Amino acid sequence: MNEIPAPVLEWDLIAPLMVLGAVAVVGVLLEAFVPRGPRFVVQASVAIGGVVAALGTTIWTATRTDVLDGDVLARGQVAAEGALSVDGPSLFTWGLLLVLALLSMLLFAERRLGGGLSAFTGRAADAPGSSGEAEATRHRLEHTEVFPLALFALLGMMLFAASTDLLMMFVALEVLSLPLYVLCGLARRRRLLSQEAALKYFLLGAFSSAFFLYGVALVYGYAGGFGLAEVADAVASRTQERPLLLAGVALLAVGLLFKVGAVPFHSWTPDVYQGAPTPVTAFMAAGTKAAAVVALARVLLVAFGGAEWDWQPAFWAVAALTMLVGAVGSIAQGDVKRMLAYSSIAHAGFILVGVVGATGGDGITSVSSALFYLTAYGVATIGAFAVVMLVRDASGESTDLDTWTGLGRRAPWLAGAFALFMLSFAGIPLTAGFIGKWGVFSAAWAGGLWPLVVLGVLVSAVAAFFYVRVVLTMFFDEPRPDGPLLAVPGAMTTVVVTVAAVATVALGVMPGPVLDLAQQAGAFVR
Amino acid sequence: MGEYAPILVLGAIAAGFAIFSVAIAPLTGPRRYNRAKLDRYESGIQPTPVPEGGGRIPVKYFFTAMMFIVFDIEIVFLYPFAVAFDALSWFAVLAVLLFLVNITVAYAYEWRRGGMAWD
Amino acid sequence: MNDPVWVVVLKAVLIFVILVLYTLFNIWFERRVVARMQHRVGPNVNGPFGLLQSLADGVKLALKEDLVVKAADKLVYVLAPILATIPAFLAWAVIPFGPEVRIPFTDTYTALQLTDLPVGVLYVLAVTSIGVYGIVLAGWSSGSTYALLGGLRSSAQVISYEVAMGLSFVTVFLYAGSMSTSEIVAAQEDLWYFLPLVPSFLIYVVAMVGETNRAPFDLPEAEGELVGGFHTEYSSLKFALFFLAEYVNMVTVSAIATTLFLGGWRAPFGLAQVWEGANDGYWPVLWFLGKTLGFIFLFIWLRGTLPRLRYDQFMTFGWKVLIPAALAWTVAVIVLRKAQQEGQLDRTALLVAAGVAAVVLLATLLLPGRRGDEPAESEPADEPDFDAYAGGYPVPPPQAPHVPTRPWTQTAIAHHARDKEDSDA
Repeated sequence: MNEIPAPVLEWDLIAPLMVLGAVAVVGVLLEAFVPRGPRFVVQASVAIGGVVAALGTTIWTATRTDVLDGDVLARGQVAAEGALSVDGPSLFTWGLLLVLALLSMLLFAERRLGGGLSAFTGRAADAPGSSGEAEATRHRLEHTEVFPLALFALLGMMLFAASTDLLMMFVALEVLSLPLYVLCGLARRRRLLSQEAALKYFLLGAFSSAFFLYGVALVYGYAGGFGLAEVADAVASRTQERPLLLAGVALLAVGLLFKVGAVPFHSWTPDVYQGAPTPVTAFMAAGTKAAAVVALARVLLVAFGGAEWDWQPAFWAVAALTMLVGAVGSIAQGDVKRMLAYSSIAHAGFILVGVVGATGGDGITSVSSALFYLTAYGVATIGAFAVVMLVRDASGESTDLDTWTGLGRRAPWLAGAFALFMLSFAGIPLTAGFIGKWGVFSAAWAGGLWPLVVLGVLVSAVAAFFYVRVVLTMFFDEPRPDGPLLAVPGAMTTVVVTVAAVATVALGVMPGPVLDLAQQAGAFVR
Repeated sequence: MGEYAPILVLGAIAAGFAIFSVAIAPLTGPRRYNRAKLDRYESGIQPTPVPEGGGRIPVKYFFTAMMFIVFDIEIVFLYPFAVAFDALSWFAVLAVLLFLVNITVAYAYEWRRGGMAWD
Repeated sequence: MNDPVWVVVLKAVLIFVILVLYTLFNIWFERRVVARMQHRVGPNVNGPFGLLQSLADGVKLALKEDLVVKAADKLVYVLAPILATIPAFLAWAVIPFGPEVRIPFTDTYTALQLTDLPVGVLYVLAVTSIGVYGIVLAGWSSGSTYALLGGLRSSAQVISYEVAMGLSFVTVFLYAGSMSTSEIVAAQEDLWYFLPLVPSFLIYVVAMVGETNRAPFDLPEAEGELVGGFHTEYSSLKFALFFLAEYVNMVTVSAIATTLFLGGWRAPFGLAQVWEGANDGYWPVLWFLGKTLGFIFLFIWLRGTLPRLRYDQFMTFGWKVLIPAALAWTVAVIVLRKAQQEGQLDRTALLVAAGVAAVVLLATLLLPGRRGDEPAESEPADEPDFDAYAGGYPVPPPQAPHVPTRPWTQTAIAHHARDKEDSDA
């Protein structure tokens, strides 16, 4: 009896995931049993409480992880029978994701803007513009499932960033993606656009997941194992069947780069960012990118580090293209959300420059620089989308850039915050974006990638021109008479915008503490 | 012969019988043309025209299919567990119970939302 | 087991012949028994006791015109009966008819089972569910409303009850430690599983009736609503194939019940103690077929006794009563058995607990009126609670409870009419 040994689980190390998963499941139960009246408030409180609890657990876990010996400041260990690696990058990403999710949850819970109704549709099954939809609005129905869905997506992101096993990574990829597909289709306004976004995201996402899975299969065929460490050993020891490995790497990269939003797998980004409900866009833009970048870096550096000469040139090209397309694309946009989407593509390029830059060296490592960049980018993104939620007219959010002219005269503080986020995106000194860009470029420089760095700086200049133009439009043009009404910011959104603005400045003026944290989290443990 | 080959033999016999029956039927039976015979049968009344593509089907069937997939996968997970039960420890039992609880949560949600109510 | 080719072919042919003959017999048996229940005589003209009636019917069907309706999707329409027939036979590949025997006139020993798969029961589930394709494709390809609705209903019904059926197997595998049919039979040498696993057995029996679309769950062929259901547009031998598949499926689920819960081919209680050779040679085939015939009789008895359920009652029963009950019972067995294995529970306590669980389960099955605790999410509850199981039998409602509001419930009109007749009568 008992011939099959029970697996060993390090409960203290995976506690944040357990807490979050439990809260998400409780959310589903609440959805089933709490009456409709108090349900929204209960769900929002539980979701926010759950994220806070998971954040606390993450900090507690971080204090318990050991610092490993050696020249790099690696900490943590592989947990759950080799499925997860609770190491520096994982813990940093978990913390970052939870903070970003906390801000997003506040946006999810905002009900002041839509006349007492959330940004999500009342009954998603109704056809847009149908009488059923009007009836749902009249009865003030709300889909409170968004909270458990977002928590599941968050759980998937955290798993994704920490997986050291390709199968686990695939499961995490699905757990993170499926709720997001649904969330994208739930916008209260512009339902057709929202549904189109959800469908596009789902189809392309499913497609890229399939690529990822084929990649996993090929890599398994090459290495005979799913663990990243096993793959790394095989890469180091096997010399034959290189094409199998390279095909596997390429297919894995398709799946991961899709989630990162890098060119040429970026085409979903503008449509989805535009169509999704703005809180979801904020959550997804900040969170998915962070999780996907860390997962990409982990796969590339841990598993395929030994073959880097084979894959690096391709990634240089992807990084360069991504920066270029993102920056040039954002110039052409007339819609704020689409503009932010292209901007996020450009940022993906900058982060990739850091990731494929230096793998070691004395200065900042590529992982630390990417982590810091993700922090700066994530905070500013959520802040920017929070501002987008506030600029409204009679039909909901007014995202046409033309209607934003002269916004600075009507709402100086709000426009000021948006300008601050724009400047941070542009990488102007004294904002978080500057330190982030400095980090990734110096990491790339240390790795000898000076052409990429030069290109990056040039692209930054192009992009800066555009971001500054938005700022100028807001502050130095006359407001249009038919411009949007500004909604009175609800308490939640105000908090989010304020926190994001303060964080953007703080990370720019004195980045020391967070930079230190990122540097301590600079090495993967396998 | 291996474990699975006999299945093919039985399958071949059954397939031969079925195909033979279908093939022989037009030869043994009479053939007397009548337009009404070849029309759809709706108890003698004028058949309702079937819309292009078969028309719309109640979404309930889709729900049922989805639920079936969820539960069938659950069962497929339970079978190896049940077969290996004697070799497993309490840990596995708790893991399976946790799994069942998770399924039940989704089940409760669907129940409460009327996903299983047929009108 | 490694049988020579000729043995495999012989066994396969025998299984096929037995099934076809058994089907012919069952049709006659059903007609006779139902006739007796209704104070009629039943077929008694062709052959002794009318035994050849089914054969005559088969020949008559072959001589009927083979129609392919105009609106049909020709290829699928022709393929569907074939697709329904083959899996029905295939399931029998793993059913053990008896122990190892010597083939007469030779020195070859072989088990009375075509092949012994380690995943036998899973194989049966897999193969029988392929038969659903035949049904749903037949309904779809006929291009007819009744056939389409019948096919949809039928497939929804089969998959709904398959879940409960699958769950009831879990406990058997738990006890037997195997999914192989022969090993499950071997594991029941001392105790047939229907005793310790009463709830599983009951759930299986209900599910198997639902799974085979038999009365009182024969909604896909509700004559008053859907004419013949999915095979409305079929005639001649194609129709005969559906008929055959349905009866073979009935025998299949009976055989599974026998194998998993009633000790398979083992001689009935006590007989093996009295008579040494009861479990040797070819006698077990008799026990096996006898037990199976018992289930067939149950099927017929149900048909002769119970009226048809309403569709929503049927689905509600499957999803909201049968599945939770099966889940709860499975969990109870898992926990109690592990506690017993780890020495935290002795056998007496286990039996007591099992008894309590059985009572609770029976109460769940029979207790009515659980509808009140599920207020509809979007529509106000408009019906008074209706107890479908008052007195232990599903009964039609006293007044017509539904007004057809949507096109697809038009068929419910016919339903009501019949319900009213029943209640008026």
